[in-house]
Amino acid sequence: MRVNFTVNGVEQTADDVWEGESLLYVLRERVGLPGSKNACEQGECGSCTVYLDGTPVCACLVAAGQAEGREVRTVEGLADGERLDPIQEAFVECGAVQCGFCTPGLLVQAHDLIERVPEPSDPEIREALAGNLCRCTGYEKILDAVRLAAARKAEAGR
Amino acid sequence: MTMTPAKVPRELDSPLDGGVGESRRRPDGTLKVTGEFAYSSDLWLEGMLWGVTLRSPHPRARIRSIDVSEALAHPGVEAVLTHEDVPGFKFYGLEHKDQPVLAIDQVRYQGEPVALVAADHPEVARRAAAKIKVDYEVLTPITDARRAAFDPDCEKVHEDGNVVRHQPVIFGGDVAEARAGADVIVSETFEVGIQDQAFLGPESGLAVPGEDGGVDLYVATQWMHSDLWQIAPCLGLPEEKVRMTMAGVGGAFGGREDLSMQIHAAMLAMRTGKPVKIVYNREESFFGHVHRHPARMRYEYGATRDGKLVFAEAEIILDGGAYASSTPNVVGNAASLGVGPYKIPSIRVDAYGVYTNNPPCGAMRGFGAVQACFAYESMMDRMAAALGLDPVTFRQINAAHPGDALATGQVLEHMAPLAEMLGRLKAMPMPPERDAAGHDLRELPGGVSNTTHGEGVRRGVGYGVGIKNICFSEGFDDYSTARVRLSIIGGEPTVLVHTSAAEVGQGLVTLKAQIARSELGVRRVTIAPADNQVGSAGSSSASRQSYMTGGAVKVACEAVRERMFKLFEERLGRPPASLAEAVEHLPEVLGDEVIDETREFHHHRTERMDPVTGQANSHTQLAICVHRAVVDVDVELGLVKVVELAAVQDVGKIMNPLSLEGQIHGGTAQGLGLALMEEIVVADGKVRNPSFTDYLIPTILDMPPMRLDILEYADPRAPYGLRGAGEPPTLSSTPAIVAAIRDASGLALTRVPVRPEHIAGSS
Amino acid sequence: MRPFAYRRPADARAAVEAALDAPRAMYLGGGTNLVDLMRLGVAEPDLLVDVAGLPYDTIRETGDGGLEIGGAVRNSDLAAHPAVRRDRPMLAQALLSAASGQIRNAATVAGNLLQRTRCAYFQDVSKPCNKRIPGSGCPAIEGDHYNLAILGHSAHCVATHPSDMAVALTAFGAAVHVEGPGGRREIGMPGLHRLPGDRPEVDTVLDPGDLITGLTVRPLPFAARSRYRKVRERASFAFALVSVAAALDVEDGTVRDCRVALGGVAHAPWRAERLEEALRGRPATEGSYAEAADAELDLAEPLRDNAYKIPLARKVIVRTLAELGG
Repeated sequence: MRVNFTVNGVEQTADDVWEGESLLYVLRERVGLPGSKNACEQGECGSCTVYLDGTPVCACLVAAGQAEGREVRTVEGLADGERLDPIQEAFVECGAVQCGFCTPGLLVQAHDLIERVPEPSDPEIREALAGNLCRCTGYEKILDAVRLAAARKAEAGR
Repeated sequence: MTMTPAKVPRELDSPLDGGVGESRRRPDGTLKVTGEFAYSSDLWLEGMLWGVTLRSPHPRARIRSIDVSEALAHPGVEAVLTHEDVPGFKFYGLEHKDQPVLAIDQVRYQGEPVALVAADHPEVARRAAAKIKVDYEVLTPITDARRAAFDPDCEKVHEDGNVVRHQPVIFGGDVAEARAGADVIVSETFEVGIQDQAFLGPESGLAVPGEDGGVDLYVATQWMHSDLWQIAPCLGLPEEKVRMTMAGVGGAFGGREDLSMQIHAAMLAMRTGKPVKIVYNREESFFGHVHRHPARMRYEYGATRDGKLVFAEAEIILDGGAYASSTPNVVGNAASLGVGPYKIPSIRVDAYGVYTNNPPCGAMRGFGAVQACFAYESMMDRMAAALGLDPVTFRQINAAHPGDALATGQVLEHMAPLAEMLGRLKAMPMPPERDAAGHDLRELPGGVSNTTHGEGVRRGVGYGVGIKNICFSEGFDDYSTARVRLSIIGGEPTVLVHTSAAEVGQGLVTLKAQIARSELGVRRVTIAPADNQVGSAGSSSASRQSYMTGGAVKVACEAVRERMFKLFEERLGRPPASLAEAVEHLPEVLGDEVIDETREFHHHRTERMDPVTGQANSHTQLAICVHRAVVDVDVELGLVKVVELAAVQDVGKIMNPLSLEGQIHGGTAQGLGLALMEEIVVADGKVRNPSFTDYLIPTILDMPPMRLDILEYADPRAPYGLRGAGEPPTLSSTPAIVAAIRDASGLALTRVPVRPEHIAGSS
Repeated sequence: MRPFAYRRPADARAAVEAALDAPRAMYLGGGTNLVDLMRLGVAEPDLLVDVAGLPYDTIRETGDGGLEIGGAVRNSDLAAHPAVRRDRPMLAQALLSAASGQIRNAATVAGNLLQRTRCAYFQDVSKPCNKRIPGSGCPAIEGDHYNLAILGHSAHCVATHPSDMAVALTAFGAAVHVEGPGGRREIGMPGLHRLPGDRPEVDTVLDPGDLITGLTVRPLPFAARSRYRKVRERASFAFALVSVAAALDVEDGTVRDCRVALGGVAHAPWRAERLEEALRGRPATEGSYAEAADAELDLAEPLRDNAYKIPLARKVIVRTLAELGG
């Protein structure tokens, strides 16, 4: 089948898509955007988190056909050209990135949190990111990064 | 023309300042946060095929026949291969070449690779694999490691017997005599379940056939050359025809020391003449790599009434599963570090690694020292309780200090005294008491599950001490190779650092640049992709890369610096007054010339353990981490909230504070996972939970804030005096957490992971 | 994964007709369970009828204080709805204690009700399972059943229902709206989910082609004091070992009315009717709660390794009621 959708503001058409493919597979293997990661493909790890019509979901559990006509935003679409989004900047700066495989999904989920809750408390950050597994960092630096990005965004918004 | 994937590992620019001792951004950080970093599963080539592995559903069976005809006839399929198609030597392995590339006439564990399929779409390959007919004669699996080791009537997993290695350690006086002199004797049997590395990036890679009959492999591994040395013979190729490039690695923790898809992808590429990509899914990943050895450990300690240990006896049985992997070395660690960093006059340890039909086990962060640490630290608590002593005081009384010998006779040198580390740990501020009113539910046991509002909750505090060997042990002549190239690019001195060392997330790329900048005083440093065009860097394991590859980069930089100074003197007629001056004049001094130096770095020699007594200076370096855990336990429901973890660790020299803290946090988290939730459940040789739905690893809600106190007792034999840091926290956090749960609940808790029903019970 | 066809019908009637076209048709909502099961080879539909885009994605407050919830409403949206948070905390809490934010953003109400069990044998196609392959046997009975049923199981199946939301809805006695080949009908909860008996392959009373279009949650004023508590092995994102949804109406120290349902203990969300009966009219004390809990749990028939769930359930029930009873 053919799937038409918008990714990071660009209209995409994927042809010869097999019905059993996921949005994640289409992004990674058919439209050349492998930033979203394939760590469990069961919705358990969050590393494939993308915005689907503005809401973060696990792309591995979205059937390709369900992406038809929808808007997708992936980790590749967070930065403004060369300028990193504050959450991306904070992840690098705070040491929240080690192997980095969980990072794309965490960034989208944390980005969404800060959009919804401008200055989240620690428990709010933890609750929001509980669907994103990281095996390297023990999460401390991730908390630091989200706090920093939220503070910077709040500062910029004032 | 050689085909190059659309996305390949590239040269990394590092920040323009920051030497040894400073926190700096990772050179690969921007790529990783923009989704541009090329992991091994991201590689893509026009016209590539997808490889799939057919695995045995049985833990033990004879293979009567394999019929691939129907699979081969499946539209879209380009190759179906079995052991008969392995071009060269049919076995591989890290220590013993006991593992077939593809099963030959029998399978020894559930998930053993039997056949391979390449097709134009992964789903086509999977469907075709399902059409391969394997006629199995199913046999009863050998699953009891103790029986496999000691019962002469037990069947054999491999012809040469079920004990992979037995290593005794006999130290000091006779244990039986010492027992007679003990006032208090405690004994217990402990168990550790199978832990998985659970790195997030599944095994994957791309093999591209070369025009010379060779193959280009883009893979994620911990030690490229060790891979190469195993791959080339199996492919029947000389090593120079197997060109390896490190693709991005999504975590490792020991799970990528053994081969997974490397030979398989290469075989399919060579057979089809097309690039072949293999990507495991999570379930296959659970079958596709070795795990941490499960252990059954019987301990007995004796002490005098004044709190001095007089003997320790331990029997440690490590179930290595179906193939040897690194079991021999895991046994060496469990034996040599089996009673921890304590001064005990009489010691007898017997550590065994055993073949069974359970999942193969090998390297995981902590490597044999983790299992023993849970047992010896539990024993320390138990003995302290029996003597009525504070657990920290009891440890301090018996702590081995620099100058004291471990069980192997090896003397501790140049490191922080354990008693002082414990003192500092105990003195660290405690987290605030639980506030009965106004607490956030998310900070109580059960968290967002709303299970308690404080009722049934008791606080506990526990301590753990762990000692880990750094670098490879037991006489292995380990080394790393670094190439450092200095040239003028765009008028600016530029250093390229090239090694084959695996960046698995730990931050070695950052450190290499920091060392080059410190040693050469040059702003611009780039890191070349790791490949086998430069000599072996050894493994990214055993907490060894800062020491070994850091050391190699340092000596290569020193060689470059020496030539830089010589050139300066040749051109300017005098030696430079300082490094800064030499660098300042580099553009004119060097011109179009290039200084390119490659150096190997070896650590000092170690010794093999005596096969009868275990005595030897077997370890290159030793490192201690101590943890304090504060927990709130809902003793009625069995739920645990770790409130805080505090750690004191001696790292010799802080090379990069940010990376170091990340290592200690991450290692601690894996120890928490083992304490509270992580276990691969195996019954009759079959894995019951090969998914992240059922194999639980800590989430951000499970991890507490961590408090660190990092000490720098320099080791004069190590580069910069540093001490490997990645593993020790994984050891000590587990026993500290379990001790804290015991403190809160009053329960014995002799097995990890501790599950809710172990705390809440059945009545 | 087997090949299958994919259709997106324009309305419920067309969906039902489409579903009757193929012998193994299944409806696709958020995909959070079904896509996973298809990848595992557990679900093998020949046709996926995508109903996520049908206009059943609204929540409407009825004039009498009730709620009409569309079948395609996302779990996150339901949990965040003011009428749920304010008047039915146990439903909001149940939703929020399930899975992760990303999953709740995708999962639909109807799909949540129709989740399949997380029993490891059901999920593993290399093993027998009466629910997956009728008559193949239930290895869980002798095998790993640590997290499986203590109530209402049979010699054929000891699986549990994984939903948290359904437990709260069962306590409410929600009515499920079904569009089927024979027209529309309503099914009360409990009543949608079956106990396994000798047909464990059948999870619900729905017939082929039946589509859940929505739910009615009738007014239950005392549910403004209600709670959902869930015991699981990790602080988040794990299925319940035991969970309790409870609402309590206490006047002058006496229990006037109550609603209690249990999760993680049976093949269906378990309405604790005996407990409720034992508690009505009794003093609102921990003693009464414990007695009432025992009245229900006396029915329990634990397996070899899950007897711990009985005291666990008792403790969670008592705690939850004690919190509500003041």
